[in-house]
Formats: sequence, C-alpha cells, structure tokens
Amino acid sequence: MSRAWVAMLDAPAPDADAQAPLEELDGRPAGWLAAWLRKAKPVREARRADPRLIDADGAAALLAIVWPDRDRGLLAFDDLAVQHARREMLRTAAPPDAVSTLLVDDSHFAGSITVRRGPWVDDDPFARVEPGRVLHVGAGVVGAFPLPVGPVIERHGSAQPWPWEWF
Amino acid sequence: MTSPTQSIADVLADLELPDHAGRTRRLSELVGGDPTIVQFYRGWWCPKEQAFFRRLVELQDEAEVAYSGIVSISVDPAATAAAFRAGLGARWTFLSDSERTWLDRLELRETTDTLNNPYLPTVFVVDPDLRIHSRYDGYWFWGRPTAEELRQDLRAVTRAIRPDWEPPR
Repeated sequence: MSRAWVAMLDAPAPDADAQAPLEELDGRPAGWLAAWLRKAKPVREARRADPRLIDADGAAALLAIVWPDRDRGLLAFDDLAVQHARREMLRTAAPPDAVSTLLVDDSHFAGSITVRRGPWVDDDPFARVEPGRVLHVGAGVVGAFPLPVGPVIERHGSAQPWPWEWF
Repeated sequence: MTSPTQSIADVLADLELPDHAGRTRRLSELVGGDPTIVQFYRGWWCPKEQAFFRRLVELQDEAEVAYSGIVSISVDPAATAAAFRAGLGARWTFLSDSERTWLDRLELRETTDTLNNPYLPTVFVVDPDLRIHSRYDGYWFWGRPTAEELRQDLRAVTRAIRPDWEPPR
C-alpha cells in the first residue's frame, strides 16, 4: 500500500514533507499542493499517489490535475474509460516527466497528476475521464520518473496507485 | 559497462540503454517482476520487422492484463524509435542502442548488413531474473515466434514464478 499522499489545500500545511504554491496559468494563486510520506492519512482531503511523484528537490512544473469530487461517485479502475486513459498515457509520443493516478480506497480512480517541464502537451488522457485543469506548481514538491515499461496496465495489488508497478 | 563480451548463455545481460524518451533504463528494472518478451530488431526500415511488430501489437492487449512485459531493442536513435513506436500503437518500452554498445557483447551483430550494422532479429522470453526461457532466431522470418508460441512461453514462465498459479483454496 502506498504511503505517499497529496492534497490540494488553500494554505500551506504545517507538517507536509513537501509542498509548493499552485497558480493558474494567468498567475492567479490557486492554493497549495502538499505531499506527505507516511502511513496515516495526513488531512481529510489527501489522496494516495505513487511515491515517486513526490520530490522535495523537484523543479517547478506544469501540472495536469484531475481531481474528481468523491461525493459524486468515483469510477472503478477497471472501468473501460480509465483503462483506455492508461493505455493512451503509455502510448503517448511525448511522455510526461511523471504521472500518478490517485486513490482514496483500493479500487477507484480518484484522479491523476501529470507533470511536464518541457513543451506543454495539451492532451491529458485522464481529463477525458473526469474534468481536469492545468496549473503551475512551484519548486519543491513533484519529481520525475519514467513511465512503466508496459504494456501492463493492471498491477499486482490494489491500493497501489498506477503506475506503481511492483509487488 | 566494461565487460568485453557478454555471451548469451542462460541469462540475458542486464543492459543499460536510453529508452524512446531518451531516459537511461536498465533491463532488469523494465522487466520488474514479470515474464517479459525481449525483442532485438533490425530497425524501423525492415519490412519483416514491421510485419512482426504487428504480431506483437496484437499480443499487447493480452500482455497488459496478464502481468507480462515487452521490451524492444534496436540501433535506431531514440527519436526514431519513439516515432516508430507511436506509429505502431505500441505501449511498451523501446530501447535505443544507436552507439552499438551491446551489439558485439551480446554476439547479436548482423554481419551481412554492413550498411546499417543492426541487431540480428532475435526474440527472448525471460523470467524476472533475466533467465532465458526461450530464444528465437529471426534472421529468416519463419524463425520468429508466432503469437501462440509466445503465449505458451509466457504461460510456462508465469506458472514457474507465480506461487499462486494453483489458486489458493
């Protein structure tokens, strides 16, 4: 089970392991992205992420964020729309710096964060599943890691946000 | 990598090469804990490779739900491999040995093509420790594995490495 958590907050978190301010593309403040590496859920809004997403030394980046309202009901990871989005992410000709889906339980798609630092690719496959937004994040919270080898999209255990890929 | 020659005997060498996105990757990292098809191919320009890749692309729908990986390796530059991969609709990792670092160490140089100096078309099915379960020499197209042969190999490796192949009762 992943021990990495992320949350979008209105103000900095006093105990986050990494965090940075978020901005709209026109520069307006859009809150903070906070991250924790711990077993227990740190704040009510937190969702599990692939731990490789979090890097306190990571540079500023553009984020494609999908953060569906869990009260509205979440799609299962096995839903064809979510499966197809993962396939599209693996197939992309312009791989992101990093990507993680998000979890609030063992089996439902609770959003995604896609990190890019090079040329922006205005196509987030996960934003075709649930509404998405693009924000700028400051340095000090998200890192970089390559996409999984593929073509595997199903992973061995639950409670591991894709693409985390080992037992 | 300093070893002069890596003879392919029982275990495939743990190659380290840039992937189609230009990031350095290690074969053992890509294989992870899964049975994996490791395919050495000549290059994007070879019609035999294009035909064989269509076979692999068909197989990827099964591999992606069966915890089985595919890795393709050639002397194509990373950008060329990325374009070829995108055109095929492949969702697995392509590695680029454009410096021909591993060609001779693996004893997989196609000596009859002195223009491109490519890899001999060769397909391995390996287990998570890179032990070779099967090898197919594809210099002649009919030497390459059929999709059914690959399924049988992946089934055999999966059965050998998954302790719960017989469902827990």
